[in-house]
Amino acid sequence: MAETLSSAVAGTPNGPQAVPAVAPPRPGAPTVPRVAKPIGRWGWTVVWAVFSVFTLLPVYWLAVVALRRRVDLMGNYTMWPTSLSLENIRAVVTSDTFVRYLSNSVVVASCNAALSTVVAIGAAYALSRFRLPGRDNIFFWLLTNRMAPVAAFLLPVYLLFTRVFTFGDWSLLDTRIGLILLYTVFNVPFAVWMLQGMIDAIPEELDEAAFVDGGGTIRVLWSVILPILKPGLAVTVIFTWIFAWNEFLFASRLTAVEARTIPTALAEYVGVTGTNWGELAALALVTMAPGAVLVGFLQRHIIAGLTAGAVK
Amino acid sequence: MRRRPSAALALAIAGVVGSTATASARMSADTMSAPPDEMSGIDAEWWAAAAEPYAGTTITGVSESTPPSVYAAETLAAQFEELTGIAVELEATSWDEMRNKALNDMENNTGVYDFIYVEQDIAYADIAAERLTNLSEMYADNTDLQAPGFSWDEFNTFLDNFADADGNYFGVPMEAFIKIYLYRTDLFGDADLQAAFEEQYGYPLAPATTHDQYRDIAEFFTAHGTDNDLELWGTTVQATTSHAASFYEFFESVAPTFGLYDWGINAEENFAATVDNGGAMNGPEAVAALEYWVSLLDFAPPESTSSTWDEVASTFAAGRAAQGLVYGENATWIAADGSRSSVVGNVGVAVPPLADGVLEAAESGEGYVGYYDGGAFAIPAGADDKEATLLWLQFLGLPDVQPEWAAATGRVTENATYDAPAITAIDEEVGGYFTLMQEQAQLFRGAPPFAFHSQVVSTVSPFIWSAILGDSTPQEALDAAAEATEEELTNLGYRT
Amino acid sequence: MRKRSTGWLLLAPSLVLMVLAGLVPFVYVAWTAFHRWNLNAVTRDAVFNGLDNVRRLVHDERVLDATRTTVLFAVYAVGSQLVIGYGLARLLMRRFPGRQLFRTVHTIPLLVAPIAVGATWRILLVPGLGPLPHYLEQWFGWHVDLGTSGTVAFWSLVLVDLWHWTPFVTLSLLAGLSALPVEPFEAARVDGAPAWRILWHITLPMLKPVLIATAFIRLMDALRLVDEAAMLTKGGPGDSTRFLGLQLVRIVFENNDYGYGGTVSLFALYVTLVISWALYTVTTGIKRQRAHGG
Repeated sequence: MAETLSSAVAGTPNGPQAVPAVAPPRPGAPTVPRVAKPIGRWGWTVVWAVFSVFTLLPVYWLAVVALRRRVDLMGNYTMWPTSLSLENIRAVVTSDTFVRYLSNSVVVASCNAALSTVVAIGAAYALSRFRLPGRDNIFFWLLTNRMAPVAAFLLPVYLLFTRVFTFGDWSLLDTRIGLILLYTVFNVPFAVWMLQGMIDAIPEELDEAAFVDGGGTIRVLWSVILPILKPGLAVTVIFTWIFAWNEFLFASRLTAVEARTIPTALAEYVGVTGTNWGELAALALVTMAPGAVLVGFLQRHIIAGLTAGAVK
Repeated sequence: MRRRPSAALALAIAGVVGSTATASARMSADTMSAPPDEMSGIDAEWWAAAAEPYAGTTITGVSESTPPSVYAAETLAAQFEELTGIAVELEATSWDEMRNKALNDMENNTGVYDFIYVEQDIAYADIAAERLTNLSEMYADNTDLQAPGFSWDEFNTFLDNFADADGNYFGVPMEAFIKIYLYRTDLFGDADLQAAFEEQYGYPLAPATTHDQYRDIAEFFTAHGTDNDLELWGTTVQATTSHAASFYEFFESVAPTFGLYDWGINAEENFAATVDNGGAMNGPEAVAALEYWVSLLDFAPPESTSSTWDEVASTFAAGRAAQGLVYGENATWIAADGSRSSVVGNVGVAVPPLADGVLEAAESGEGYVGYYDGGAFAIPAGADDKEATLLWLQFLGLPDVQPEWAAATGRVTENATYDAPAITAIDEEVGGYFTLMQEQAQLFRGAPPFAFHSQVVSTVSPFIWSAILGDSTPQEALDAAAEATEEELTNLGYRT
Repeated sequence: MRKRSTGWLLLAPSLVLMVLAGLVPFVYVAWTAFHRWNLNAVTRDAVFNGLDNVRRLVHDERVLDATRTTVLFAVYAVGSQLVIGYGLARLLMRRFPGRQLFRTVHTIPLLVAPIAVGATWRILLVPGLGPLPHYLEQWFGWHVDLGTSGTVAFWSLVLVDLWHWTPFVTLSLLAGLSALPVEPFEAARVDGAPAWRILWHITLPMLKPVLIATAFIRLMDALRLVDEAAMLTKGGPGDSTRFLGLQLVRIVFENNDYGYGGTVSLFALYVTLVISWALYTVTTGIKRQRAHGG
């Protein structure tokens, strides 16, 4: 019986159905998802459609607000687009600093995601395969770096950036590299946490086999672990990227002019003289694009994992 | 400028707040960026010569992202650089962030900023803590840096907020506003409404001069809005239940109109706050003020309990209130900027309604009638390029620079500005705001000189929120607030 | 065969980064926690004061209330995310029309920065600006006001967190589910086990590591939440949504009270550690079980 995991477990709305007998899948071979009965299929579509409305409602409202003129915002409750004014979007996109903020965010998020993931693969592999003394403690300590609320750590980090990590006139303050390095504090633990579980699930025999073939650790990582880890890696990269992209507090305190990122820019619109909801919405929408591109690109790898079936 | 809601709100650098700056520019009669040679009073030769040793340097500053700062960052910085060859980089962000970064820089002597924005209410703390450079002294000591046209005497009384006990100045004012009573001239001038009001209340409809009148008017227009299914209420109330803005409106704007000054904290009686110990925070004036203010919520739009000064401005600009207490920096664009305000041309300004005896007290200098808001640029004690920065600050204080700046953003720091053609031309457009400020600003006052300012605000705010929410009566709230204040001041070491 | 040193070498970059950017600031904060250091005070220097700050914390109702509220928030938010996320992940394993589209749509909230998330929901929920209170009042007569009702504010934040982070749970669990082997389920079906039994005895146990990992990350982040709450409710009305993170912002930034702020930070860390350690102990228990052929 060729069945997806989900259908095997949950059955269809009408209860488990008898299906034509087919030889059981060999371990590691791709399994073909069973196609559920038509009514059942469309039922799930409806469920998802409803949930998608919930998901998209705020984004839709964001778009409506972005397209509304500032003067029309208050007391204007209708959720239909009452105007299609592009002035907010134009103001945002043509501002001097928009390109700089956007590129800063892209650079910081991408570099940090890459750095964190690479560093974490090594760490996760080490913690998984090597019987290092105190590894459980190390692992847990890594994780604690992500736990504390940020506010009180701003001052010591500020001092580190301005007093310790300086070379003559240059300091880590207001630099992208500063943020990239700083964000590893919460992204590396996260990535290690995600990856270690997945590496644990890969049997050590596979490593041994590659070793016997005369490969070093790096070769084992590259040719054995990484391919299997692809969906996990994709998910890790996506999330570390998102965490770095969205970080606000450190970014706002540790940058001044040069290295400003999008979240700090978003807060700009909330102001003394009235919050500029329209431009805030426009910026929020426009800056979803890089993330969407990344997620879209990496989704393929997640899909690959889904249809390739199990490791065991 | 007022503090931004904390923690998440960094505000625009120059270009991004372009929309507000451009909008303000539509307001001004003259162009926003007048090239230097149109400012005839400026001796370009002198500036070039004086700045020669410093040409090519870049000075860095941090300020709140308000239109005046943005104007300085964009327009004035460019003019200054052309005159002197000194580049100015101004980081404009939210109040909280600006304050924290400036404070960190000063306390740790990291020399990040050459000039910082010092708000009037925090100036005293900085001066007392010796974090700022004595500008009077520096100006006197450096005769070759004394710019022609610049004089401490040009500034209006707002400058006194940045002086120490000996009269030395520690900041150059760059923006000043008064929190003013705004009202809708179209509504107040409507014949039918006037008739209906007079019939109901027995006196003519006019901007309120007493609290009872204000309340009547608020009640009247709220009923009018309900009866005619309009999104209109009688008054704004800055009654956010989660942010210090409500503390500020109550203690800075409403309480003084009842005769409660300096938050009811008596510095001469060992910083007492409770009536028993010699303070006034829970005294009869305070209670009357709080009762009155909270009762106004019945006549205010629903967003009032979520409103800081930010939302109050938006509410009034959207035409949702017939009256309100609004910060001056907002009054001007609400009155004149069509891209952000729905009530352009229908805004009048007046001194807030006062209780008996308050006006006399203010005129004699003993009391005040409302809040004088604003800030200055100052040089941290540990800054690097002080001389170049002194030139920049003087440039900002030149009388020639003031009119366009004032016309574009509504701030006035020097006496001569009131009479400048640019200002008189638009005064009517903004409901007579500049005339009122010129004539009556001396009745307003900034925050009391408390070094513990922010701590008390943080301590007392929850009690104000509690009164707004109805969880405690005004008397209860103020009793608790006064006690908590005394406890806090003892902890901090001010009260022995 | 496996040189220990290789292991340490692989681990080294992480450790270096953590020590420099994590441990050092932490030590600094821990140091301040035992000092009286408030820039608003008469003396602005840091003065060692032993356990005075701790004593103050124990009597500080605002902070203790905030702790309770934060934990409740985390439990409700993360709990509901896990349940809903799991359900959605399971759904995504099936084939049905539009599956790919929905999966993409579902990840959209993740791409919106927390500030923007808070702002978006604020624009939806604030009276005078947002359609939701208006229509809820018009259609159902419900009076939904963020500014006066602590309950509304609290549950709005739970809802916002759900909207924002459920996709994270869904994607993680999806990755986890897809890696599970098929045979145990085959065997169970052959045995005629009912769906719920399979869920409880097979799926969930096998999924536990990923479930716990996801719950862990979400829990930690929920307990530290600042940006969305700051935008949406500013901690109000009163203190009803002033979570620990926001209390810290108030203490450190508004009051410039670095000493006490350090103490509260340590306390917040302690609370998170306690909650996490419980989860972690369960996990290592499971891991050892699996290592021994579970």
